[in-house]
Amino acid sequence: MANMNLYSRGDRIFVVTNMVLIGMFAISTLYPFIYITSLSFSAGFEARAGNVILTPVQVTLEAYKYVLSDSQFWISYKNTFIYTIGGTLMSLAFIIPGAYALSRPQLLGRRFWNLTVAFTMWFNAGLIPFFLNMRDLGLLDSYFGIIIGFAVNGFNIILLRNFFESVPQSFEEAARMDGANEFQVLWKVYIPLSKPALATIALFCIVSRWNGFFWAMVLLQDNDKIPLQVFLRHTIATLSDDQEFGATLFDATYSFETVSAAIIVCSIIPVLIIYPFMQKYFEKGILLGGVKE
Amino acid sequence: MSVPSGQGVTGRLQWLLRHFRREWQLYVLLAPTIIWLLLFLYKPMYGLQVAFKDYSIFRGVAGSPWIGFEHFHTLFGSEQFLRALKNTVIISFYSLLIGFPVPILLALMFNEVLNQTFRRTTQTIVYLPHFISSVIIAGIVITAFSPSAGVINTFLGWFGVDPIYFLTKPEWFRPIFVGTGIWQEAGFQSIVYLAAIAGVSPTLYESAVVDGASRWQMMWKVTIPCILPTIIIMLIIRIGNNLEVSFEMIILLYQPATYETGDVVNTFIYRQGIQAGQYDFAAAAGLFNAVIAFVLVVTANSISRRYSRTSLW
Amino acid sequence: MKLTSLAAVLTGTVLGSAALAEGELRIVDEPLELTIQMNHARYPVYDDDWPVEKAASEMTGIRLKNDTVGANMRTDENSGKVEALNLMLASGDIPDIVGSSRLKDFVNQYGPEGAFLALDELIDEHAPHLKAFLAERPEIAAAISAADGKMYCVPYLPDGKYGRGYFIRHDWLDKLGLEVPESVENVEAVLRAFKTKDPNGDGLADEVPYFARQWPELIRLVTLWDGRSSGSDTYHDFLVEGGEIEHPYAGEGYRDGIANLARWYEDGLIDAEVFTRGSSAREYLLSEDLGGMTHDWFASTAGYNSLADSIDGFSFKAFAPPASVSGKRIEEHRRIPIKPDGWAIGHANEHPVETIRYFDFWFSEEGRRLANFGVEGQHYEMVDGEPVFTAAVLESDEPVNAQLWGIGSQLQARGYFQDYRYEVQWSNEYALEGIALYEEGDYLINQFLGVAFTADEQKVYDRHWPSIRDYMLERQQGWILGNGDVMKDWDAYIATLDEMGLEDVLEAMNSAYKRQYG
Repeated sequence: MANMNLYSRGDRIFVVTNMVLIGMFAISTLYPFIYITSLSFSAGFEARAGNVILTPVQVTLEAYKYVLSDSQFWISYKNTFIYTIGGTLMSLAFIIPGAYALSRPQLLGRRFWNLTVAFTMWFNAGLIPFFLNMRDLGLLDSYFGIIIGFAVNGFNIILLRNFFESVPQSFEEAARMDGANEFQVLWKVYIPLSKPALATIALFCIVSRWNGFFWAMVLLQDNDKIPLQVFLRHTIATLSDDQEFGATLFDATYSFETVSAAIIVCSIIPVLIIYPFMQKYFEKGILLGGVKE
Repeated sequence: MSVPSGQGVTGRLQWLLRHFRREWQLYVLLAPTIIWLLLFLYKPMYGLQVAFKDYSIFRGVAGSPWIGFEHFHTLFGSEQFLRALKNTVIISFYSLLIGFPVPILLALMFNEVLNQTFRRTTQTIVYLPHFISSVIIAGIVITAFSPSAGVINTFLGWFGVDPIYFLTKPEWFRPIFVGTGIWQEAGFQSIVYLAAIAGVSPTLYESAVVDGASRWQMMWKVTIPCILPTIIIMLIIRIGNNLEVSFEMIILLYQPATYETGDVVNTFIYRQGIQAGQYDFAAAAGLFNAVIAFVLVVTANSISRRYSRTSLW
Repeated sequence: MKLTSLAAVLTGTVLGSAALAEGELRIVDEPLELTIQMNHARYPVYDDDWPVEKAASEMTGIRLKNDTVGANMRTDENSGKVEALNLMLASGDIPDIVGSSRLKDFVNQYGPEGAFLALDELIDEHAPHLKAFLAERPEIAAAISAADGKMYCVPYLPDGKYGRGYFIRHDWLDKLGLEVPESVENVEAVLRAFKTKDPNGDGLADEVPYFARQWPELIRLVTLWDGRSSGSDTYHDFLVEGGEIEHPYAGEGYRDGIANLARWYEDGLIDAEVFTRGSSAREYLLSEDLGGMTHDWFASTAGYNSLADSIDGFSFKAFAPPASVSGKRIEEHRRIPIKPDGWAIGHANEHPVETIRYFDFWFSEEGRRLANFGVEGQHYEMVDGEPVFTAAVLESDEPVNAQLWGIGSQLQARGYFQDYRYEVQWSNEYALEGIALYEEGDYLINQFLGVAFTADEQKVYDRHWPSIRDYMLERQQGWILGNGDVMKDWDAYIATLDEMGLEDVLEAMNSAYKRQYG
């Protein structure tokens, strides 16, 4: 965008209004994060009373002490990284070739294959059959099970296929003239030209793995393999009010609100860090340079 | 691409053999995905039959007796189910009408921001609420709309309006729910469109500049047409999700006083099936959802295939 | 050779019997291991290292080995989700013992199908303590039996009767020169005084006279007009009146109650945000010196009196249930005497007799103490025949019940009879005062303990009840908020309930009730 000039006053007003609107929206969406950070540094009682609005009330590190001193927290954190990185790589290994193949017009039965993929977005077998299937495949209670069991997702395939379809034919023809086969076309032409698309799919995989908890809860028997989100839910279950004895934590300086806030903050930090790195793939000009027209 | 007709069976067979000899790599690339889908998603689909059975986990799918459409009768027989269905459709429709364009708009607006730091910072910020759990978001919304200390009522108070207990009023439930959903998800959902915009060839913009187009015109004449395929695909998928309304968020925000407009199919089913293992009933409801969704998608897809070059299949 | 071996055998037998005589609780000669599924929000698996487990296995000779499926699912007793149990059943390997919260409905459904063993005969022949206990309290067997009339689990039986009570700011009463309200008219007068006479002294009419952490506790007040809000410790539940099952939300006392509560709500005597305020109600309204009266758990509410440190003279204590319009004083809520939690015997168990004797062990004196207090000498001592926790336990930073869960004691997923004495030792003094007050007045009433349906009755219930309940709740909230007038709408409301099938549901429930309880 560096070479674009503003042309008219109309354009200038347009740009400024734009920035103001985005700024306002951003401030409003920033609030939940500020709120939860403040909660995590507040005293348990004040958090329960709902006194925390913008800034921490009665600043305390008790919630973080409770969380960070729990070895299960670190184990779960490590596990989340394993599932996220392993899962994303596994997903990309399936999705990229699959989406590419589906985007090629010469594929026989293209509509049928696309339908096979799309159908799974709406029809799923249910908890118990899926569980039994994983058990029969020997994938219960294992890192590999979680990584491979959720590697493919119809939405991501269709999305990536759609992006591949928009790559101009001219690039491919140039490569073909050089005698490239399908693998090479994919590797040398499509992948480099689809950086924004790949970044998007990768991001979706990363996010869904990072946030995922349901199947981890169902399929994992051992505590040492659970991801952070499951740890969060366990902590909430442990610290939640006992109906009858709610006051057992009355005098503590942490409560389940502040502890879960602390865990959530810890889980968002990597997310906050990774997105800026991926953002450059969503900017114009990423496709410039080094590609013959 | 289909097998050419005529030339008889041997002719077709020869054609096929030549095709595979030439294109075998494509099928190698496709195979892992298809095999995965068969193994992990299609294989357990026999479980869908429990929608038509009186399912006992102990007896298993095979051992449970058929009862045909009885679950569907129970489901539809209730007037409140029909109300829940109506609410689902209405809420979903509002979400589509208002919520679908917002991420696109957001992406287009980000595209017009010149200052890179500003753009990157705000992009990161708006995608954060997606990571904050619904429980927290719901708590924030309830507080914001509370009649005594909420910001909304305080704001209205400056204009002399009496406090409104928003979350017990049926007429306010849908707007609040849809608005909350948009606020939470728009940032994250705009990423797809950012990626699509980033894929637009810069030469197109350069020629537009040469023709003397303003930024506004470039947005309409270059950017939007180029990302239209992505928009269409996302729209078709979104139409398919028409009966999926965020169950968790509704539970957190609704009250019996707002069941009238807020109760949706999934929450209705949740309240129905309290007893242990009501999988059969839930499966029936899930199947109903899936069939309707699929019909909608097939329709949308056919229309799209006829009038544009983009479609799901 | 023969003589030596004979001698060896004889000596062995003698020694063996001596050991047996010493440990009369011993169930097996050879140590026996049984597998167990145990899953609860707070203890997702059965921990072999629990001191209580070690002591129990030493005493009985039976060791329990954890075999829990779905440990990470953590059965949530509030939502009643039993996914972990479902997964266990689906996987086809049912352990020897299955323990969980919310177990009863699960085993009553799958027990008759053959997944669990019926316990009646086993208890009759091999479990003397249990048998005697059940004979003393026949309602237990009736309450936990399945529709086929058999028992499939041994339940967890809480001790301690009192749950929630009425609380009020005594210091506000003193400040305004008012007496503790004795009747419903007094209550209204006091709430009005709280609202208008500014007892918190800040010059604003910001007091919230009646508040509730859970909004059905607002509906609880209909008892002041001789209505009812629930027959058990679950909200919106059916009740038993004169041997018949009825629903409180179809009663005329309820109607009058709602009419008055709607009036109170409009006049500001009730928290305007009562439906959405939620669990922060006590913390916020009490610490901000705004809340006046509530109806909530003795144990936890009494603890707020430590706010006296920050609010001068703060005193939030229990008071006796006010007399209704007809002069009756009742406390509708009490702790449920039989929880749907406990444990059962899986059908593949090869040692059912030993297992039932193991279940029986927990109903013996030593077993019961083990389940309630922990290990003698480690966690408690016997003082004058009474179990007393050690100072280490009582003075620890961690709450006593949390400590007990950590050693394998007070497990709801185990079938045992709780002992209230464990709680008394660390209960807040104000809670105990309140409970003593209620005990004196004998305000508790009968509870509905649930029914087990046959398949047909279940169908009727499932088909009609959830929708009826939703309709009742919608109207309930609507009336309180001022949408409609309950007196005017009443006849149409009852007609709608009939149309929706309330009579059919009640018929099904009554048929089940009579079959179960006689």
